[in-house]
Amino acid sequence: MSNERRLSGRQKSERLAAYAFTSPAIILLIAFLVVPMCYTLYYSLFKYHIIRPDDMRFAGLDNYAKLFHDGNFWKALKNTAYFTVIVVPVQCALALGLALLVSKRFKGVAVFRTMYFGPQLTSMVVISVLWAVLYNSNPNTGLINSVLAGLGMEPVNFLTNEKTAMNSIIFMSAWQGAGYQMMIFLAGLQGIPSSLYEASSIDGASKLKQFLYITLPSLKGTVKYVIMITMIQAMKLFTQPYVMTQGGPKNATKTMVYYIYTQGFQKGNFGYACAIAAVFFVIVVAMSLILQKFTNEE
Amino acid sequence: MKKRSPALVLALFMALSLTACGGGAEDDGAVHLTIWQPTDKEAVENWWVEKLDEWNSAHPGIQVSREAIDRSDSYAYDNKIATAVTSKQLPDILFVDGPQVSYYAANKVTIPLDAYFPDTSDFARSTIAQCTYDGQLYAISASESSVAFYYNKEMLRECGVDVEDLDARTIDNPITWSEMLDIAEKCTTGSYVGTHIVMDHGEGLPYALEPMYISNGRDYISADGTTADTYVNSAEAVETTAFLAGLIADGYANVDPITDEFLNKACATMLGGSWEVATLEASAGFDWGVTYYPVSDETGAAVSPCGDWSAAITKGCEYPDEAGQFLQWLMSTDNVATYCAAVAKPATRASAYDHESMAAYKEGPRALFVEQLQNTAVPRPRSPSYATFSADYAEAMTNILAEAASNHSVDRAYIQEEFNRVSDSFTEDYTSYYAE
Amino acid sequence: MKSSLQGSKKLGKFLFYAGNIVIGLIFVSPLIWMISASLKPEAKIFANMNSIATFFPVDPSLDNYFEVFRRINMANVFKNTLLYIGLILLFDLIVNSICGYALAKFSFKGRRLMLSFVAALMVLPMEALLLPLYIEMAQLGWVNTTRALVIPFIAKCFSIYMFYNFFSGVPNELLEAASIDGANPISTFFKIVMPISKTVYATVFILDFVAHWNDFMWPFLVMTGAETRTIQLAVQSFFSTSPVHYSAIMAALVVSAIPMIVMFVFMQKYYVEGIASSGIKG
Repeated sequence: MSNERRLSGRQKSERLAAYAFTSPAIILLIAFLVVPMCYTLYYSLFKYHIIRPDDMRFAGLDNYAKLFHDGNFWKALKNTAYFTVIVVPVQCALALGLALLVSKRFKGVAVFRTMYFGPQLTSMVVISVLWAVLYNSNPNTGLINSVLAGLGMEPVNFLTNEKTAMNSIIFMSAWQGAGYQMMIFLAGLQGIPSSLYEASSIDGASKLKQFLYITLPSLKGTVKYVIMITMIQAMKLFTQPYVMTQGGPKNATKTMVYYIYTQGFQKGNFGYACAIAAVFFVIVVAMSLILQKFTNEE
Repeated sequence: MKKRSPALVLALFMALSLTACGGGAEDDGAVHLTIWQPTDKEAVENWWVEKLDEWNSAHPGIQVSREAIDRSDSYAYDNKIATAVTSKQLPDILFVDGPQVSYYAANKVTIPLDAYFPDTSDFARSTIAQCTYDGQLYAISASESSVAFYYNKEMLRECGVDVEDLDARTIDNPITWSEMLDIAEKCTTGSYVGTHIVMDHGEGLPYALEPMYISNGRDYISADGTTADTYVNSAEAVETTAFLAGLIADGYANVDPITDEFLNKACATMLGGSWEVATLEASAGFDWGVTYYPVSDETGAAVSPCGDWSAAITKGCEYPDEAGQFLQWLMSTDNVATYCAAVAKPATRASAYDHESMAAYKEGPRALFVEQLQNTAVPRPRSPSYATFSADYAEAMTNILAEAASNHSVDRAYIQEEFNRVSDSFTEDYTSYYAE
Repeated sequence: MKSSLQGSKKLGKFLFYAGNIVIGLIFVSPLIWMISASLKPEAKIFANMNSIATFFPVDPSLDNYFEVFRRINMANVFKNTLLYIGLILLFDLIVNSICGYALAKFSFKGRRLMLSFVAALMVLPMEALLLPLYIEMAQLGWVNTTRALVIPFIAKCFSIYMFYNFFSGVPNELLEAASIDGANPISTFFKIVMPISKTVYATVFILDFVAHWNDFMWPFLVMTGAETRTIQLAVQSFFSTSPVHYSAIMAALVVSAIPMIVMFVFMQKYYVEGIASSGIKG
């Protein structure tokens, strides 16, 4: 008995330290993330117009019932999923390509790294304003269409055609975000022992073979990590459609966060916006947990 | 050393809470009033500093301060008001955009001002109408805005349009839609388009285009502001929209025009705001003119947009009488004139135009806007559901114009479908929050 | 034979640099456009958008910068911004690192639960929680105080996750040695672990600095008044009035991007190393 107590002495002090170390973060997370989430759940049960706080009316699950028949909600969910599914591989591949370009030390490597990271240093609003003009449908006012016209092609309504709008945003976003993931891949590449490459080049392996059989397998952990953070960012897509397309045309670029924002603020249906947010939270948290399980295997 | 860090954290937390407790109470016996207004251009910011100094030194008992709100776009400011309302953090005096007056009045965010402005005969009828909800005056405005038809004389001549005829138009003889279409068609060339109708993809759309609908016989929303059904989705509205979409479908106007399209000579004409006059005078390297808002061929009824930011007193204001007294002073002829000169916008008070600072409004393009405001201006719908309508209309219009641009044709059935949805959404908003 | 090999090597090197330069220019084009636009008069910014000429200012002038410095009290704005971000980062680095360390190295009841909790909350979009958080701030009476800007943003799941990953990689032998020397778990962390973990702190610092430097909506909603203005609010004030003057906006944006660029260039080395060492091993 006393022996057991003594044995647990160190464990006990470790446990105390553990609670001392974790409690500030956990308390803050509960206070400023979980509590607002609970507020969201609470308000989702009310008919609540944002500028009539004194006129909240209990509505039970009405907001949730409405949500299931709301075509815009499903469309926004679909768009968010589509964006995520496409942008993640595209952006990761682009980032890996860039990282391979600047992974070795050579004169000016820092300059090129900084250049590829450039879009991250500019505010998203500027990038969206600039690209909205680059994508302009008229060859007289849009750079890309003027190039297409020079090649004798028909102008493309990049942002004003529902078939191309989301893909145009995806392309821009992948370009904007790739620098960030590139830095992570760079780190991963530096972790691969150069002896692996040396051995294979003695065996006469081609560059492509080296990439496929050494680089990629060695980067497995990095790839998983990059995919996860890209997905997290993708699911929050808001600024680009807000500035460039206002969710249009024909809802083609309406995303979940954008829809929550317009319902809650612009139209003032705060109770309803909370119901959408609550459902969305459940989806992203579930996704996150599944992803964690997947990445923690092995 | 061992206990350093938790103690450090604690100490910093306390330091943080202390610094946050600044802003002491003001026990000088004076009434303190706060104003919220979006940050404006330099001249206006300077005007406020000077004028508030003047007021505060003349009225030691009523001290007024103004907070310039750095909004990022037209919606951000309303978002800030909305969040402040949820927890009663509003200022005493609030500047709101014209069509939002009814929204805030109906939701009891602001209070009537009739007691402070018993005689508004010097103010333009359009501004008073815009600021009136349910028979009471809820806001008061110093400045106005409007939209008219700008044209690049050099381009028009190149394309064989009779510029002298346009220059000679009067308010009783404005150009018609078919004349506008004719000019747009003639002036669409390889290097520029004929006209420009998309001001932005938000409130700019319903604001700049509403006169088209009224002129063609049917406004967006019923006069009492209770319904959009049989208005925005009427046959007349569909026809009006088909005319506008036709300009895009035929390639006479761009669906996503760049900022400053007219200034950069990428379009020959435009439906542009009164504020463009100053920009063009400063930077346009070409000869340009402006004429009255186009009218429907069928009715010939002349209508034009109006409305600008207006001051309102909030419900939570503890000293409404003092705030009212301040607003009376703020809206005096002298102040309206110098404010409008600073902000470079037309004035709401007729007497303000006699003031020396408004001399530029006696002739030329500015005089045309004043004339239009005094004779043909119609305020935007006065409905508490206007905010919802505006967002839905802008979205529907963006869809319709995009469709026209992609297919190079106008689909009336699609316009009808989109506007039915706008009407349904209006009905839902109105019945769930405002219908008793 | 030998010379042709050298020639092809040279050509390869040339192509490699040329490729990097072209791609680099494409990536840096918005920065160039922004800087170029900031040197142009308003009327010229959207002219020539159909040609590459838009990236070069004709008759460059600093007028836009003069306007920005006249309208914005830059010293004050930078002070406000750096102060609140500094406070957030200070607490952020302490609170999240000790939490990450405890999750990585201590065994205790509830550890797995806490890990799942952190992982699950990592994906929550703050944009969708703004109003509930504001209401909470108002109930606490924190609206218009530094507390509202700082305290809700100290704990970050993503930072905890980064620290957790890094500390998981710290060898247990090191900690056991310290414990045999009689150090308790807390002092082991501050004396032994923290000093060897500079890179992960640098990484979290950069990531969170960049994120907060671009904060707009939250400071906009909770703070009112010129004396508390932050950098993004000051930049946005140029969007306020129509017509929007992009010339001044671009100048303001260039000024606001300078600290980020400087920081990135100087901390780039730590950044790459930091990520490399944060446990995302191959």
